Amino acid sequence: MSTWQDLVTASLIGTERSAVPPVAVPGLPTPADAPADPAAILLDRAALLTVARRGGRLAGHADPLPAAEPDPAAVVSPAAGRRLARMLSGEHPDLLAEWLSATVTHGRRVPAHLLPALLDRARRVSSAGPELRRLAALAGGSRARWLAGLNRDWAFVAAHTRPGDGAWRLGDAGQRRGYLAALRAQDPDAARELIAASWDAAGPERVMFLSVLADRLSPADEPMLEAALGDRAQDVRGWAAYLLASLPRSALGQRMAERALGCMRIERDMRGTRLIAIPPAECDAAMRRDGITPRPGGGRLPLDDRTHLMLEVLARTPLLTWSNEFGRSAEQILAVPSGAWEPVLLAGWSRAAMAQLDQEWMAALINRALADGPPGKLFGAEILRQLVRRVDPALVASETIASRDAGPPPAIHDAITVLRFRYDMLKELDVDHSDG
Amino acid sequence: MSVPRVRVATVAERWERVRVLALAPDAPSQRAAQSLASGRSWLLTGAAEPGALWGQCRGSAATPYRIVVDLAGPAYQCSCPSRKFPCKHALALLLLWADGSVKDDVGDPPDWAASWLAGRAAQVAHGPAREPADPKTAAKRAAQREARVASGLGELDRWLCDQVRQGLAASQQAGYGHWDDIAARMIDAQAPGLAERLRALASVPHSGAGWDGRLLEEYALLRLLAVAYRRRPELPPPLRETVRSRIGFSLRQADVLAGGAQVRDHWQVLGRRDLEQDRIRTRRTWLQGRTTGRPALVLSFAPVGQALDDTLSVGTDAHADLVFYPAAVPLRAIVLTKHDVLDGGPPAGDTIAGLLASFAAALAGDPWLDGWPAVLDVTPARSCVPAVSDAAGHALPLHPGAGDCWPLFAISAGRPVTVAGEWTPRGLWPLTAWDEGGRAVVL
Repeated sequence: MSTWQDLVTASLIGTERSAVPPVAVPGLPTPADAPADPAAILLDRAALLTVARRGGRLAGHADPLPAAEPDPAAVVSPAAGRRLARMLSGEHPDLLAEWLSATVTHGRRVPAHLLPALLDRARRVSSAGPELRRLAALAGGSRARWLAGLNRDWAFVAAHTRPGDGAWRLGDAGQRRGYLAALRAQDPDAARELIAASWDAAGPERVMFLSVLADRLSPADEPMLEAALGDRAQDVRGWAAYLLASLPRSALGQRMAERALGCMRIERDMRGTRLIAIPPAECDAAMRRDGITPRPGGGRLPLDDRTHLMLEVLARTPLLTWSNEFGRSAEQILAVPSGAWEPVLLAGWSRAAMAQLDQEWMAALINRALADGPPGKLFGAEILRQLVRRVDPALVASETIASRDAGPPPAIHDAITVLRFRYDMLKELDVDHSDG
Repeated sequence: MSVPRVRVATVAERWERVRVLALAPDAPSQRAAQSLASGRSWLLTGAAEPGALWGQCRGSAATPYRIVVDLAGPAYQCSCPSRKFPCKHALALLLLWADGSVKDDVGDPPDWAASWLAGRAAQVAHGPAREPADPKTAAKRAAQREARVASGLGELDRWLCDQVRQGLAASQQAGYGHWDDIAARMIDAQAPGLAERLRALASVPHSGAGWDGRLLEEYALLRLLAVAYRRRPELPPPLRETVRSRIGFSLRQADVLAGGAQVRDHWQVLGRRDLEQDRIRTRRTWLQGRTTGRPALVLSFAPVGQALDDTLSVGTDAHADLVFYPAAVPLRAIVLTKHDVLDGGPPAGDTIAGLLASFAAALAGDPWLDGWPAVLDVTPARSCVPAVSDAAGHALPLHPGAGDCWPLFAISAGRPVTVAGEWTPRGLWPLTAWDEGGRAVVL
């Protein structure tokens, strides 16, 4: 409407230096300009046009967007959605991956309105931790792909959901990893075969290959890992040893068990039952090949070399070894006093339990830590922190979780809060599943 | 292992987390409080009758911060230097309490908390002094006010004409003081509604292309208000009330209830928008009657740090009697009696043509109207700006202040959705969308 623009121009210049353009609104009589002041006349005419323009506004046109493909997966329950919203707004952000992973496992998807916040969160994580991006892309389903087509910030979604062969043949390191990780999640054997076929030609990428194998690790992976123990690169050897130690029935596990059994026994005398620990004397070549480092690295605790070796062996020993040897459950073994060695044993068993995802041991260790009160002396707060994030919370004494007595000390408070949060979280997602 | 028995909360009924989060001054505070509550910074927490919480929390300072909360109110005290109110520490303490992580059997509050709580109790007991209502003095005061407003509006009219005489081009160089000065004069003239409108203008010259037109619109409508007030005896009474309320005369609720039209309906709670100005938070809740089709706007106010009224929750239907304020286009209403709250389900969406027609009709009654409830069946689209488009191919832009509105796009996924929002001259401000399950999502 040119008259309006004329009025605006006149008002910008000012009525001192510009005339007031006349105004006509179709269907309205020309206003009698009562005031004498040109400025007042301009304002009155502008008021008339403002209201006429607002009331007479016509709709515009916008090109429609192509619709997203229908998503066969059902959305999670409202309660699960509310919990996701809480995590996205800062509560226990480190549990987000677990929420997403459980959602994907149950074949569910993220509520649509939370997708933008989730994709933003996944975008902000460093590309060194691609797991959250992959899980976000999977749990987001077809809508996440559709949104990613509208916002370049979320372009990573495509790399994680529809990786074509091109990503593997031509992609950069991140895209290749994305392709391999997606394949491993879908078809673990195919991923292993692809790695085996590419192994000889791959140089520094071997570490990436092994890190992808960590997902859905199975005894079928053992031969490849055992061979990698002889690799020239130290990183590759370290990863292979670490993964083999997570496979309790691997040959490496058996070698560790033999070493460990030589280091520990139960003694009964008139003072009662005690665990006696005798650390390995030295780190021989076979131990080194199995991934044990002779000296402590830059750890926080100053350990002497032999204590360090004890810890390393324990952390790689199949936990089944102990129940078989001592004829006791995890809880019973943890109840046997071991004197000054206790912190080392607890730390070693904790590392083993987490690597082997041994729920019985993790639950027993947590119950032990929570029952014993002030941690720090026996349990590093960090170990407890990691245990409560991996254990199946339903296995930890239910009264521990239900208890509202989550007061200080902080490490205990944190542990109970996390257990309670995860318990509720997994229950919500599980209920979801049985609904469908 | 022995575990203490679960204690039932005795202090006060625990709040829901959402109620705590609603107290936060902004979204970053919400996030900071949530991570603080899930972290390990708390050295001590406690609760006691009647409704007191306290805690000590490690912060960036050498000494831990001390936080006290009086749940009645609520009122807060924290030793941290944050200028946000309530600060993240107070919010985090409330979150811990809402989660059941604050024990109420730790004994009496420590001295630093007890002294503040005692001071609060004394303050509440005395309460603010109430003025005696004497009809004679009241009438005299009212006449005085009318005179002050009239002279203030005269001054405003001269100021507006001066702006246009000298040219609006100079406004881009003017600082906030330019509008704050005239706004302060309107406060002196007891016309707070005008003051608020004027203060909001300071940002217009920096609001991007078209700022000159928007400033002229506002100046023109302000002069229209000044002229309308001067000629108020000639106006029909409802329009006179509209003019008075826009200037800032407020009606006492009792008077509204006594004289206003009372409407019973199943009021669908369409959406709400919270605004903050001068440490006062305003919640605009839009309703629409299922039977009458009438739109209604319920306003509630709270100082920053206090909870806004949460009784009308978005997506529900309130079976209620509403009383409307007298106005040329009666929109603002008070909930007189709420009989029942029902699960609403999505409202029936209108077309864009229907919305524009109803807004035009409303403008004919109240030319100053700049917000109108919209319920549309539309598909979000992005041409040059985010927009919504209906089955007839008509489109309206989203309000630039509403941002990208990605959640709305995610819910739609390229298919039509029911959206409720506030239609303004600058575009649609989307507030609520109904997802595929028919659930209301606050945008």
